[in-house]
Amino acid sequence: MSLPEVTIPPLCVPAITANLIAIRKYVRSAAATAGLPEMEAQAVALAVDEACANLIQHAYKNDFTKQIGVSITYTSTEFVVKISDTSTPFDPKTAPLPDMRRYFLEHRHHGLGVLLMTRVMDSIEYVPATNGTNYNTLTLVKQR
Amino acid sequence: MTSFSITSEYMEPSNVSIIHVAGYLDAHTAPELEKEIRTSVRQGRHRIIVDFGSLEYISSAGLGVFMVFIEEVRANKGDIKLAAMPTKVYSVFDLLGFPVLFSIYEQVDDALAAFPAP
Repeated sequence: MSLPEVTIPPLCVPAITANLIAIRKYVRSAAATAGLPEMEAQAVALAVDEACANLIQHAYKNDFTKQIGVSITYTSTEFVVKISDTSTPFDPKTAPLPDMRRYFLEHRHHGLGVLLMTRVMDSIEYVPATNGTNYNTLTLVKQR
Repeated sequence: MTSFSITSEYMEPSNVSIIHVAGYLDAHTAPELEKEIRTSVRQGRHRIIVDFGSLEYISSAGLGVFMVFIEEVRANKGDIKLAAMPTKVYSVFDLLGFPVLFSIYEQVDDALAAFPAP
């Protein structure tokens, strides 16, 4: 019998890097409630951290008056994290992923967050703000 | 709550800076590590070991710090060697192929022994 969808109360925090630890803690707590294995819980927390760090530093440009919303639902087959923001829409899936051989040769030191997200999550979806909603939503899915 | 701490020691006979990191290394705390490594490099100390023994977590912001300095320290006959990584930290380095570029040792002493005599 499949588990009905469970919704974890959302977290909404000011968009500052000091809050990344609280965001990861929220994800880890929900993962523990869902009974996600340690390695998967760690992977999801990392992906959410990368997404939120990008929002804070690049989309919001460290504007502490902005907010990030994180909400989690899960079933017996998937663990889903939705991250919402009100910045200028940017679909991370359109960002070119770095070729790591060139990355090392050129001694680059930024731009690995989206690559990490894609490596640890099973799917990533992005819905920009429209007339219907005033926030962008990034959905990260981990299959169980 | 302190989420990250950093301490350094300088091994004079071998001319190696050992930087011990503890806690959570993310986009918020990575600038502290960058500052510490920059201090070592500005003092002409290009032989650096980072001890991860007490590190709980690393994100790409932490990985990026090592990329900032690796070219400069190697150009000065030094290196940044990484040691005592917990499995959960190593797995993030491994996901992005960092073990190809960086030497990673089980123990700090192993990393120390890997530097040639000054």
